[in-house]
Amino acid sequence: MSRRLRGLRRASQLVFFAAFVALFGLAATVAPTSVPPDLFLRSDPLIALSGMVSLRRLLLPLLWFALPVVALSLALGRAYCGWVCPMGTALDLGERLLHLRGRRPSQAPPWRRVKFYLLLALLVTILLPAARRSADELSLSQTVGLSAVYLLDPIALLTRTFTLVLLPAVQWVLGFTSDQLTAFSYSDLLDRHLWLARVVNPVQGAVGYVAGPTYFRLGLFSFAFFLGIIALGSIARRFWCRNLCPLGALLGFLGKASPVRLAVSEKCTRCLRCVNECKTGAITEDPHRYRGTECIACFTCVAICPEKAISLTVRRADADRDDALQLDRRRVLQAAGLGVAALVLPKVDWTGRFDERKVTKFASDKLIRPPGALPEEPFVTACVRCGECMKICPTNALQPALGEGGLQALGTPIVVPRIGPCAQACNLCGQVCPTRAIEPFTIEEKDHLYLGTAMVDRSLCIAWAADKQCLICDEACSYRAISQKTTEGVGRPVIDEHVCVGCGLCERACPIQPQAAIHVYASGDKRHLSRVEQAAWRQQAQQEPAGESPYPQQAGREGPG
Amino acid sequence: MTHDEMTRREFFQRAAAAGLAAYGLSQVVGGDEIAEAAAGGPIIVVASKRDPAGLARAAVDALGGMKKFVKPGGVVLVKPNMTWARRPEQAANTNPQVVAEIVRLCKAAGAREVKVMDHPLDSPETTVMKMSGIAAAAEAAGARVISASSMAMYQNARLPRAKVLKSAAVLRDLQRADVFINVPIAKVHNSTTVTLACKNLMGVVWDRGAWHQSGLDQCIADFAAQYRPQLTILDAVRVLLTNGPKGPGRTEDRGLIVAGTDPLAVDAYGATLLGYKPQQIGHLRLAAASGVGEIRLDRVAIKHV
Repeated sequence: MSRRLRGLRRASQLVFFAAFVALFGLAATVAPTSVPPDLFLRSDPLIALSGMVSLRRLLLPLLWFALPVVALSLALGRAYCGWVCPMGTALDLGERLLHLRGRRPSQAPPWRRVKFYLLLALLVTILLPAARRSADELSLSQTVGLSAVYLLDPIALLTRTFTLVLLPAVQWVLGFTSDQLTAFSYSDLLDRHLWLARVVNPVQGAVGYVAGPTYFRLGLFSFAFFLGIIALGSIARRFWCRNLCPLGALLGFLGKASPVRLAVSEKCTRCLRCVNECKTGAITEDPHRYRGTECIACFTCVAICPEKAISLTVRRADADRDDALQLDRRRVLQAAGLGVAALVLPKVDWTGRFDERKVTKFASDKLIRPPGALPEEPFVTACVRCGECMKICPTNALQPALGEGGLQALGTPIVVPRIGPCAQACNLCGQVCPTRAIEPFTIEEKDHLYLGTAMVDRSLCIAWAADKQCLICDEACSYRAISQKTTEGVGRPVIDEHVCVGCGLCERACPIQPQAAIHVYASGDKRHLSRVEQAAWRQQAQQEPAGESPYPQQAGREGPG
Repeated sequence: MTHDEMTRREFFQRAAAAGLAAYGLSQVVGGDEIAEAAAGGPIIVVASKRDPAGLARAAVDALGGMKKFVKPGGVVLVKPNMTWARRPEQAANTNPQVVAEIVRLCKAAGAREVKVMDHPLDSPETTVMKMSGIAAAAEAAGARVISASSMAMYQNARLPRAKVLKSAAVLRDLQRADVFINVPIAKVHNSTTVTLACKNLMGVVWDRGAWHQSGLDQCIADFAAQYRPQLTILDAVRVLLTNGPKGPGRTEDRGLIVAGTDPLAVDAYGATLLGYKPQQIGHLRLAAASGVGEIRLDRVAIKHV
């Protein structure tokens, strides 16, 4: 019976992986869903633990989903890693595709304890007090300090890789297909054969509808990083799960007392096939000795043993047969030190300094945050770089930050207007942010949520510098922030800083290539002010506000499109 | 008195008189003869006192009916103004009922396919199509509504009649359509003073941004000289009078539709609806100089229905 379990385990892996892909697709659309699209993130005990430790309170929406995984681990050890984890499945598939077999166990580096030290270091980073906007607004930043955990948590890592690499690739293929079909739809063939048009046009329409130009900076980097993790399989299979994964360490730790253990009977001939084939090095060079914190219950050894000598059974821990986890005290202290360093080191960077308004003093003027974003310091702490906002942004405006906000802000969302503007009729990023680093906001509020201010470069602007009839920026402006100043018979754009919210539509529309003659600068960022104060700033506008608000309140996840 | 000195009131008096005269004539002779009757000038129809769909229907009927333009089995391209993420009541895009009615008329006349296309400036395009109300209304009427936001939909075309704009990437659907119907909305415009039929044609061009660098008014005139819609139907049901072309701004309900086969005659009348003389509008003046059509309204037969 238990030999069949290997097949069952493979089926389980494929089912959960398919579910992960399906939920990912769901999260990239604006359709309302009954299943939380971030189900895998929520059921990750490491994320739940770090969220609750840093906040010092229960987070039930996370806990309800994470508890079953904890229970599973208490009962069966790291069965999650073998049967459920989409990262584990991705590694299994990747190793199979690339024919990575790993070195012989005797030559593989004995680094299995590293993941426990890494886990410890990550847990230290969440022990520090939560950064908050002010004492009154504690509730505004719900979850903080997760960023270091998110760096290495496998579910977050895989989600991020899907967002930054897979989604743009799929979108490119769809867009290319749509364009080819479009070009084909103009061929004479379709005029002669109307039935062909009746097939091609709807297909093109459907493909074109789901295809959107999606492009993310850091995509290549994320791809290389992920490929590197798979390539480590040439040193040892599931190198990541064996040696690095902090979630695997946590689940292994939880499963220390699991009653289900490997048992090798007297029939064993010491052929060592199990030792060589074990995905995670859970069987020592003596096949009768077993490492419970490493076993992912994959049933490979059970299935391949020529003598049918191996089984997973309920038995007591036994000093003769079980290799207990032993951590080095000196390494533990070093890991704790590493955690403290991970907290402090980004602050050494100049861009890690905040002024009294909690705005980074030395950040790039391109550090343009989405509307509703917390002030910079709480924002970079609260943002978990999951990429949900970037995935949902309908104009592709939200991009992972590179160096704009310093090391500490790497991968956090910024608006890059030349790629896409912040559309007036949209508030999706505030709706999907799981940690409220981007607080929910209404579309009515968008006329006083200041991301930055646009400024005209008069030496590039063809209206100012070349007396041309243009004003596309004024035409495109959703908020009527641009007016024209007519001198010598030519209308030239002038910007009202009280009205301009820095949405970047002007920069996007400016016909000057490649560098626009109108730019949004982060200097107009007013996140340090409350929304009431920002509304008061809006009231100082020269021109009266438009009065009638063109947009109704949007409910749920209903958005543009 | 030259045209430049004509006041608005005088113009309205003249227009009304011309309209009355045309109306009187139309009772005597058929619609087609009016054009000749008005000293060889073009004829435009101004429809009023109906709901938006009724206005469109009445205007087209007065021009001889859609069957005169659309032959059975033909492919029709309808070009509304569908460029902004604004709602119909804000009068930044063409009235969806008007677009839908034109689609229905084309279908009834036997059109094989009616495409409603524009190249939106706002993004995302899906929001524009949805908020404008045009996608839902025109699709219900049987059209394919397409946002022309892919470069694959355009093809370079030479414009031999142009003074400045010698070539442009023009919507392939326009180059291949049997009938082209331009359905602009009347708005003021920050850069070109007004946006009517000629300006609306910028939405069938991919590389329109460059027009601003090479002289916007002349490029609009050049394009109008090359691509002349068979039918121009100007939506003046509600006009945008400030902060055009995107608004939001002050709107006014006029309840009118102006239609004709001469786009400049329609635009000339449209300009007056927004408080301008046709000769004050740069691109209309330049287009008239290129022989696109007639902007002297006293030479246009105006038929009120």
